[in-house]
Amino acid sequence: MNEERKTILEMLAEGKINTEEAERLLSALSKETETGSDVTKIKSGYKYLRVVVEPGPESENSERVNIRVPLKLIRAGLKLASFIPKDAQVKVNEALHEKGIDTDFSKIKPEDLEDLLGQLNDLTVDVEGKEKIKVFCE
Amino acid sequence: MIPLLLRIRIRRKSHRGVSLWLPLFLFWLIALPFLIALLPLVLIAALILWPSGKGKPILCAYLMIFRLIGCLSGLKIDIRSVDNTIYINLI
Repeated sequence: MNEERKTILEMLAEGKINTEEAERLLSALSKETETGSDVTKIKSGYKYLRVVVEPGPESENSERVNIRVPLKLIRAGLKLASFIPKDAQVKVNEALHEKGIDTDFSKIKPEDLEDLLGQLNDLTVDVEGKEKIKVFCE
Repeated sequence: MIPLLLRIRIRRKSHRGVSLWLPLFLFWLIALPFLIALLPLVLIAALILWPSGKGKPILCAYLMIFRLIGCLSGLKIDIRSVDNTIYINLI
């Protein structure tokens, strides 16, 4: 029995909610679980992370970038990053900070990556009409 | 699956450019025995450094190299502008 279900039943036992409310909450919880399993199915179907940069309508530059990175490679890279000694990680973070990137990659776990990819639905960034950056999974 | 072919295409303005199909499977035939031959040395280094806490990361990093090689297949980088083209594809 999961924690949420247990809490609902405890609330019912304590008389904080009535049977109808408990039933409604439990059905909502089961729907949420089903949706969660659908997301997992979608996630497992992804093989690549794509980054596409195209010139915008106001762009004078015609540079196009098309990058396809296997998700397995990203996951393996994240795991490898966790094996980097701490003193080296500090140096890497300092170098990233100098470049304006305030992210500690050693703290990103594979589960976080899965969540991030699950939420990444055809993200498009328009850079002042000059460039269009698309990030998506396929 | 490990990448078996590497496609590289580099073109620059005023240069003829390069377009290559590299048979990576031939490279793996040389590199994999070398990596396997390196295993005893890695094990010794890991055992020596185990008390300092660096032994486990060395051993895990060595194993991760094989995993990384196996995950490289499908990587594609394609950058094009009017003057330049850089295309790298691991198949």
